[in-house]
Amino acid sequence: MSVETVESAGPTPKRGISILFGLTLLGLLVVLWLLLGLATNAFWTPNNISNLLRQGAMTAILAVGQTFVIITAGIDLSVGAVVGFTSVIVAWLLAAGVPLWLAIVATLAIGVLIGVFHAFGIVRMGLPPFIITLATLTSLRGIGLLITNGSTISITDEAFTNFSRADFLGIPSLFWMVIVVAIPAYVFLHLSRFGRYLFAVGSNSEAARLSGVNVNRTIYLAYILSSTCAAFVGLLLASRIGIGNATQAEGWELQAIASSVIGGTSLFGAVGSVHGPLLGAFILATINNGANLLNVNSFWQRIITGLLIIVIVYFDQLRRRGSR
Amino acid sequence: MTTGLQEVARRHEAEVKAVSGRPVPRGEPILELRGLQKNYGTVEALKPATVTFLSGEIHAIVGENGAGKSTLIKLLTGVIPRTAGEVLWCGDSVQLATPNEAIARGINAVHQEVVLCPHLSVAANMFLGDEMNRRGLMRKRAMTDAAQGVLDDLGFNLPANATLGSLTIGQQQLVATARAAMRGTRFLIFDEPTAYLTRQESAQLFRLIRRLQGEGVTIVYISHRLEEVFELADRVSVLRDGTHVGTRAISETNEGELIALMINRTIEQIYHKEHFPLGETIVETRGLSGPGFADISLSVRAGEIVGLYGLIGAGRSEFALGLYGRQPLTAGEVYWQGRKVEIGNERKAMELGIALAPESRRDQGLCLNLPIGLNINLPVFRRLTRGLTINRGAEAANADRQIRDLKIKTPSRRVLASAMSGGNQQKIVIGRWLSHGAKLFIFDEPTVGVDVGTKAEIYRLFARLLEKGAGIILISSYLPEVYELADRLHVFRQGRLVASHDYRAASHEEVLAQAINA
Repeated sequence: MSVETVESAGPTPKRGISILFGLTLLGLLVVLWLLLGLATNAFWTPNNISNLLRQGAMTAILAVGQTFVIITAGIDLSVGAVVGFTSVIVAWLLAAGVPLWLAIVATLAIGVLIGVFHAFGIVRMGLPPFIITLATLTSLRGIGLLITNGSTISITDEAFTNFSRADFLGIPSLFWMVIVVAIPAYVFLHLSRFGRYLFAVGSNSEAARLSGVNVNRTIYLAYILSSTCAAFVGLLLASRIGIGNATQAEGWELQAIASSVIGGTSLFGAVGSVHGPLLGAFILATINNGANLLNVNSFWQRIITGLLIIVIVYFDQLRRRGSR
Repeated sequence: MTTGLQEVARRHEAEVKAVSGRPVPRGEPILELRGLQKNYGTVEALKPATVTFLSGEIHAIVGENGAGKSTLIKLLTGVIPRTAGEVLWCGDSVQLATPNEAIARGINAVHQEVVLCPHLSVAANMFLGDEMNRRGLMRKRAMTDAAQGVLDDLGFNLPANATLGSLTIGQQQLVATARAAMRGTRFLIFDEPTAYLTRQESAQLFRLIRRLQGEGVTIVYISHRLEEVFELADRVSVLRDGTHVGTRAISETNEGELIALMINRTIEQIYHKEHFPLGETIVETRGLSGPGFADISLSVRAGEIVGLYGLIGAGRSEFALGLYGRQPLTAGEVYWQGRKVEIGNERKAMELGIALAPESRRDQGLCLNLPIGLNINLPVFRRLTRGLTINRGAEAANADRQIRDLKIKTPSRRVLASAMSGGNQQKIVIGRWLSHGAKLFIFDEPTVGVDVGTKAEIYRLFARLLEKGAGIILISSYLPEVYELADRLHVFRQGRLVASHDYRAASHEEVLAQAINA
């Protein structure tokens, strides 16, 4: 009815989440920072801020990759395992004397392959995304442990390990990596046709197919991007902790999904952005950081994170209902 | 143990009586709207309407999309609150603030799209939320028997233990109606119930509606199909642009008057048939076979509308999907402008110049929770891309042009497709192909759930496409439509092409008989 047409004439989300929601999240982040600044002297120190940025950076990159998948109405549970696995791979390659650049390229290529495998399972074998990525979650950790025989591989390449401790223009290099990922991700999702296809497939894949969208290729793209982001984070983690260990990054997939959802991504698909999960990741990192500074029991951090997910998604639901 | 409708409905007699107001003798007002009004912000969705529904009558409501029919239903079933006005139920002023209040008073609605659980059995759906229990456990057998009793009583010939999802949409609609009838309903609203029904199913539904009327239920019947209104209704109310423009006794009006009231347009202007000189053959199929259709040979020439008529499930949509590359073909050949082609997938079909507006807007046509603009541009993003990124200006311009050309009623291309009415949604599905430069347009049931005014617009659009040298395959279960528009009419039955006629060469009865093998 034209009636309903006019009803939604207000601020309607054009692609994914609205600017208003993004600003609300940014506001929340700023409020958190101001409150923590008042509550503790240790917060606004250069040391702590760069620590916070480093903490948030890896989740943020995972969350961006995850968001591509969630927009297609899928889920990638494997990203944490991919991070641990690829940290082993890069450490292993470096230990075997492979040149640094080649080790990095090869590790990223493994990320691509894992994504290809996921999409193959979904598209060709007809497996639900939840299942195929759950399967890789457990088996990648197993493979990683097999390679290292259950131990860790230390990384002796100083150029590699120094990277994560370096700053550039006073900002930690890990945070720069967020920008390096976010800008092309933004162009891809919001400015290129492939981004539109992700939304269309997530909204109604049959309609997209009949409109000439290559649905299979779109799904491949989403999962490849997600696990390549995860492999990239695996490199960053290996650089930061100086070892390769398949049990690292336990539960990071949930952090990534939580960041994405807090950032306004809908698990039903077809709603999401790049800036949302970035903000979501740094909100989570701030809560963790603040809780540490305030000496809040780390168990409480988990509880707070859970409550925050409920509150933010609930308010987002209210907002959406209101605009209908 | 078998029970008929009466016995099952009697379970609720006491509770319904307790809240639903005093009995109203047949022919007396049961529901009165006095200046009932609904505004959304500054928009008047329903201007103050005063309508009286008489106990035991079948009262049709007709109007174009956006005329306020849905708003009225939502007000009466407690889905949305009114802005102003009064509703009298059995003489008492009532709020109808929630769906539960409406149901408790005996006001129910059967919607166009069935809202039941497809994975449960027919019986479980009929008793959903109202199960027969003994000591906290469901009496499954008793419910199945009772449901079967009701279905038999109504003459539906449906198994109560079948999974609902295994039935056709039409049969599901009948189940939904039986469900409403079981609950002591006194006032039952049908919102375009026949949109997805075959003729036989419609006939069954009509029998049921008359029977409910006979039992004293007041029926409100909303439909785009005026012939149904004349077949069924006692009185008819017309809405136009949110205004109630009149109520007539059915014996004192005619189709022409109703259409004039609805749209200020005469009936001749609806089926807009123009004949164009036929050009070269665009597509020809020889013995095309695939899942759901076999041995289909037909051709479409430039400037020609080829109609495919048949009952739902006769294989017409399957043929269209096969030709479009969505379904694999098992045998036969396709010739495109005289050249043999293999159409392996939808993108190949698009490249050749085939456009498809599929049967189900909701399942196949639209990305409902995405903006209109994205839906329109979906096939042409490649063309709108400059380098890595989309040319935003061209993207906006293409969407806005289709919205303007097709008169899609929306304040902006950013509005979500789900907010559009059926007619406007159909225009979005069609509009997506207009800038694509297709030579062959396949329209599968393009006017289902679409009002008369939009229908006429769609038919005029056909003429525009033909004029530009395109060919059209028009699939429809609505005989007057294909009959009046198709230059050549093919009849499908059980996956096969059983008869072909030139424009108006056979009678309605003949075509219908061929479709149902009577």
